[in-house]
Amino acid sequence: MNDMQWAPVGPSEPVPPPLPSTRVDFTGNRTEFRKMVTKGAMLELVTFGFYRFWLVTDIRRHLWSNTAIDGDAAEYTGRAKELLVGFLVALAILVPIYLAYFLVGIEFERWQGFASTPLFISFYAFGQFAIFRARRYRLTRTVWRGVRFWMDGSGWAYSFRAMLWGLLVFLTLGLALPWREASLERYKMRHTYFGDLQGDFEGDGWTFFKRGWWLWLLTPIAVVIFPLAPFLYAEFKAREWRWWLNGIRIGGVSLSSDLPHNAFYGLYWKMVGWWLLLSTLFGLYLGGATMLVVQMSGASAEQVFGPDHAAKSIPLLVMMVIGYFALALAINIIMRVYLQRDLWAKVLETVAVHDIGAAADVRASGELASALGEGFADGLDVAGF
Amino acid sequence: MSDVTAVPGAETRPGQPAIFFNGRSSRRRQVTLTLGDALEIADPGDVEAGATITRWAYDEIRRADSPAGILRLTATSAPPLARIEIRDAAVSADLVARCSRLDEHQTTGRGVAKIVGWSLAAAISIVCVVLFGVPLAADRLAPLVPKPIERRIGDASEVQMKTIFGRESCSDPAGQAAFAKLVNRLRDAAGLDDDAMTAGVLPSSVPNAFALPGGKVFVLNALLDKAESPDEIAGILAHELGHLKHHDNMRGLIYNGGTSFLIGLLFGDVTGSSAVIFASRSLVEASYSREAETNADTFAIDIMHKLGRSPKPAAELMFRITGKEGGSGFTILASHPLTEDRLARMTKEDRPASGPPLLTDTEWQALKSICGSGKI
Repeated sequence: MNDMQWAPVGPSEPVPPPLPSTRVDFTGNRTEFRKMVTKGAMLELVTFGFYRFWLVTDIRRHLWSNTAIDGDAAEYTGRAKELLVGFLVALAILVPIYLAYFLVGIEFERWQGFASTPLFISFYAFGQFAIFRARRYRLTRTVWRGVRFWMDGSGWAYSFRAMLWGLLVFLTLGLALPWREASLERYKMRHTYFGDLQGDFEGDGWTFFKRGWWLWLLTPIAVVIFPLAPFLYAEFKAREWRWWLNGIRIGGVSLSSDLPHNAFYGLYWKMVGWWLLLSTLFGLYLGGATMLVVQMSGASAEQVFGPDHAAKSIPLLVMMVIGYFALALAINIIMRVYLQRDLWAKVLETVAVHDIGAAADVRASGELASALGEGFADGLDVAGF
Repeated sequence: MSDVTAVPGAETRPGQPAIFFNGRSSRRRQVTLTLGDALEIADPGDVEAGATITRWAYDEIRRADSPAGILRLTATSAPPLARIEIRDAAVSADLVARCSRLDEHQTTGRGVAKIVGWSLAAAISIVCVVLFGVPLAADRLAPLVPKPIERRIGDASEVQMKTIFGRESCSDPAGQAAFAKLVNRLRDAAGLDDDAMTAGVLPSSVPNAFALPGGKVFVLNALLDKAESPDEIAGILAHELGHLKHHDNMRGLIYNGGTSFLIGLLFGDVTGSSAVIFASRSLVEASYSREAETNADTFAIDIMHKLGRSPKPAAELMFRITGKEGGSGFTILASHPLTEDRLARMTKEDRPASGPPLLTDTEWQALKSICGSGKI
């Protein structure tokens, strides 16, 4: 851990405004959350994943309603059925698109081998669109003091920006990432409203770059010496979060955060530790299961795996599948507890809200957005914040 | 306004403090609640008696999400985001007792059971479609795919193949003549139209042969190098013609596309779902492909018999290339039947030659050097 200490820490934060700032409190009970995601993960397995809409909704309801700003807790008013319907509609739209993709791909391939590969990029663009629209859905379900957040702006305009910046990040081998994030965040926040208060984002790429450029240099080393990777990623995420929070403005209200650069070390190492433990257990289980099958059938291991005993390997196959599902379930639970709940709590305890008075009498405004965006994001397997 | 009467233990409790948000503005108002016939919300800042802001009937009141220790309520008659927050446990308990439909909109145990039930039904229906529906659709639809479309797909895969192998078909004239003679005899025996197929030899060090959509059959040169008689190559070509005759490419395309999509749908978002999707896809697709291969073998046996030649040499060639396959890994995942099983089957179908040789010795030598005498 000492090898990271030479790292230059970013410039000290600007002195907070003289007015007393308000803290954000997170009062969620960890045990309750753990029980909720455990039950949810089991139901997800039993329902072949369809329960995910209900679980995601429950998680958001828990996190939102236990987050209090200036003494008043937020509320998530989205419901699982909306997500389910959004997913089904998105599917109905995506299927013809996949078909068209296939047919256009054939025409490209006729012209030149593997010429259709760039078509894949169109799915990336669609994914960015989905990220924007999913954010809109979540925001319009976020309520504080009886007034909801909402968004305007265009998902396609956002996607276009994300694509151009993505190209630049690609060409600069990742160095342009801070400017990409700043630009996209500015677009998202300027189209974000709380009632009639308009949001803004004041973080700039240069600040973020100065805080994280050395991480970029160290990345190749972390690829070789992989135990460094969790440290590096934790450093990056902490710096990113802090920079992001410090840039957020809504009307006259601003946020600041003094998230320490090493805030996430523990979280990521706990994840790695759990992952190693669970994989080892899974390995032992597989070994035990094989031994058991070999002993029960009285055949040699060679025979069990052999061609004439395909039927005999079915019990083994079943045991493997059960073990795999148990592993997936456990990883699901720890990911949600550490990377969603604990990370959320850890970040929130560092956040201060300034000039909250500006949000004391905000007129409600904005319409509810449909969950179609979340459906697309689900169907395309993209996630964004 | 409300006809909720006779709530047990109901008594009027005036002036309980609470916080009110009217859902139209974020203004936080300290209000007092009076639990009478209905819930009366009044602003004590207003000294006059008519300070009542609004009244919520008890059966319209619903619970909203809140942190522990706070009861947060809304009402169906109020603006959707209007909220009352009560921090006093006794008042909360009293109110909860009066509101009969407080938790009506929440997911209950029965609701969860319903979700599980419907998901299981959906999963079973998807599994049935994968096991029975998609193969049936693939079998019925594949012959109906218009020839031009099939040919276009074939053109696309041909371009890909040639990108991989990097070169044009081998073009030694004598070799080509011999190859054309062999292919034509097989095609006639298979009952395929003249324009139904094209065939060629590609230079490659991989011993293999394959049929592409749109009737394109390719033999890779290394297979010719390993072959010891025309019958060996003929049997393999006959097998590929079997794939053409059965529309196996289009069937596979429809089948694989359909199963990938449905299995992906089934396992949506469970962590590591891609692994599950991959595994289950490999499993069902392998069994489908093994069946198609077995049928192509049957076809090849028929053709060879029709030509008065034995199908066994082709299996011997395959066995020479792959060796014994069993005993390694899970045979349930194999896309082809095991070579030794195929050899056993073809040996059973072995009959003494009753027809003329398919190629003369000179033609056979010409075919073997179709890609030039040099090695690749």
